[in-house]
Amino acid sequence: MAAAETLAGARSVRGARFELSERAFAYLLNLPAILTILLLVAYPIVDAFWLSLHRYNLRRPEAYAFVGLQNYVDVFTSDQFVPSLGVTLFFTFWSTIGVLVLALGMALVANEHIPQRAILRALILLPWAMSGVVTALMWKWIFNPNSGALNGLLYSLGLISNYRSWLMSPDTSYLAIVTANVWNTLPFSALVLLAGLQAIPSELYDAAKVDRASLWARFRHVTLPWLSQPILIVLIVQALGGIRIFDIIYLLTGGGPGYQTTTLGFAAYVTSFISTDIGRGNAWSYTVALLTLVIAIFYMKLLYGRGDVRS
Amino acid sequence: MSRALRYGVPWRGLLIHGASIVFILWIVLPFGWVVLTSLMTEVESLSVPPHWIPDYVTLDNYIAFVDPTILGSQRLAGGGAAQGAPRAMLNSTIVALSVAVLNMIIGSLAGYAFARLNFRGSATLLLVYLATRMVPALAIMVSLYLMFQTFGLLDTLLALILSYLTFTVPYSVWIMASYFRTIPRDLEDAARVDRCNWINMMLRVFLPVASPGLVACAMFAFMSSWGEFLYALLFTSTLNSRTMPILIAGFVTDVTVSPTLMNAGGVLAVLPPLVLALIFQRLIVSGITAGAVKG
Repeated sequence: MAAAETLAGARSVRGARFELSERAFAYLLNLPAILTILLLVAYPIVDAFWLSLHRYNLRRPEAYAFVGLQNYVDVFTSDQFVPSLGVTLFFTFWSTIGVLVLALGMALVANEHIPQRAILRALILLPWAMSGVVTALMWKWIFNPNSGALNGLLYSLGLISNYRSWLMSPDTSYLAIVTANVWNTLPFSALVLLAGLQAIPSELYDAAKVDRASLWARFRHVTLPWLSQPILIVLIVQALGGIRIFDIIYLLTGGGPGYQTTTLGFAAYVTSFISTDIGRGNAWSYTVALLTLVIAIFYMKLLYGRGDVRS
Repeated sequence: MSRALRYGVPWRGLLIHGASIVFILWIVLPFGWVVLTSLMTEVESLSVPPHWIPDYVTLDNYIAFVDPTILGSQRLAGGGAAQGAPRAMLNSTIVALSVAVLNMIIGSLAGYAFARLNFRGSATLLLVYLATRMVPALAIMVSLYLMFQTFGLLDTLLALILSYLTFTVPYSVWIMASYFRTIPRDLEDAARVDRCNWINMMLRVFLPVASPGLVACAMFAFMSSWGEFLYALLFTSTLNSRTMPILIAGFVTDVTVSPTLMNAGGVLAVLPPLVLALIFQRLIVSGITAGAVKG
C-alpha cells in the first residue's frame, strides 16, 4: 500500500516535470539525427539545385554566373540525354523484372520443407554481403574475353563457336550489367518475399486443396494476393536502386562501349567530376533525383496508407 | 501430413529440388570461380580455355597483400597496388566501426523518442527520415564534395564517416524506433522509482535489454559503410583515406594487375561482411524484412 503510494507519488512528481518538457525532450533526443540530416542531406540538396542554376566550371571559376534553367535545357537537348534516359530505364526495367521473377522462385523454393533449405537460406546472404565493387570484380572476371568463365563454359558446351568480348559489344554489355545487378540485389527481394510467404496462413492452402484447386490456381488465388504488398515493395526498392546505379556501370563497362551503357547517374558523374562542369553536372543529378522522387512518393504513400508510419 | 496431402503431385517435388539446385549453383558458381582463381598461379589463371580446378594451389596471392615481394617477378603486375591493402583494410575498418557506433548513439536517442514519448510532429518527423533515405547519393555528391573541400576534409576518413551518416542514420532511427516499441514499459517504470536519472536508466536498464536492436543497427551501418563506393571514389585520393572498395576498384580497372591478385583482393574485401552476415544471420533476415516493411 505504502509502496504503491510512493510509486504513484514519484510518478506524479516526475510526471509533472516530464509532461511539460516531453515535446522538448523528444526533439532534444532527435537533435543529433536532425542536425546530421540538415547539414549533410538537406543543405546539400538545396545547394545542388542552386548550383544547377549556375554556370560553374571548376576549371574556369571566374565564369561563374546565374543562368536560370539553361543547364537543364542543355541537358534535355543534348545528344546524350535520350540515350542515357533509355539506358537507365532499360536497366531499371530488366533488373526489376529479373529480380522479381528469380526472387519469387527462390522464395517459393526456400519456403519448402527440403533438406537443402537451410543451405539456400544461408547462401542467400552471400550476394547480399557482397558490395557492388566486389560484384563488379566477379562479373568482370567471368565476362573476361580470354580467360573468363563464361566463354570457357559456353565454348566447351558448344554454345558459341568463338570467344566473345561480352562487355565490349553493344548488345551483350547491357545484358552483362543487368546480370551483375540482378545477382547482387536478388537476396534482399528474395528475403522480403520469403517473409511474405511465411505470413500466409496454411489453412488457406488446405481450403484450396479441399476445393481441388490446381497448383496454378492455388498460386494465383492464394499466394499472389497475399504477396501483393511484398511484391510492390520489391518493385519499388529495385526501381529506386536501378535508377541510381553507379558502381557496376563504372567498373564493368565504364559507360561504354561508346555511350552504350551510360546511365543518367553516370553522365552526372562524368559531367561533374571529369568535365568538372559543376552546374550542368548538378542538372543531370537533379534529373535522377526527380525520377527517384516520383517513385519515392508512391512508396511513402503505400507505407503511409498501410499504417506503418505512426506516431 | 497436410503437406503430403496438399502437394500430392509427383513432379512438383522434382521441380522444387531442381530449382533449389539451380539457385544454389547460381549463387555459388560465380563466387566459387573467384575463390578458385585466387588460389591459382598467374600463369594458370590466364590459360585458355580456363582451368576450373587449379593444378597447383597457392596462397601467394593472399600473402602478397602483406608481403608484396612474394610474387617475385609478378610484383610489377599489381604487386605495388597490393602494398596499400593493409592500410585500406584499416581505413575501411575505422570508417565502418565509427559509422556503426555513431549510428547506435544517434539511432537509439531518436528511436527512444518515437517509441516512448508522445510529441506533436512525430509522424511527420518519421516521414522526413524515411524521405531522407531515398535521396540518391548522386544528387548530393557534388555539394558534399565542395563542402568537404571548403573545410579541408577531402582525403580524410572524417569525410567518409560524415557522408556515410547520410544514408545510415535515417535507417537506424527506423530500426531503433521499431525495436524499442517491442520492449515492455515496466522496465523503465521500475527504474524510475529507483530515482535513476534518464541516462542511467538507458545505460543500465533499457539499452542492455534492447541490445539485439542495437546490434542490428550497428551491423547494417557497418556493412553499408564497408562496401560504399561512390563517396569513397570522390572524397579520397591517397592512401590516407583510401578504403577497400577503392583498392579493389583499382585492381578491376587496371589491366596490368594480375587476375589472381585481383580475385584474392575480392575475397579479402568480402570476408568481414560475410562472416558478420553468417554470425548474425537471423538478426539480418529479420532486419531486412522489417526494414522493407517499414520502408
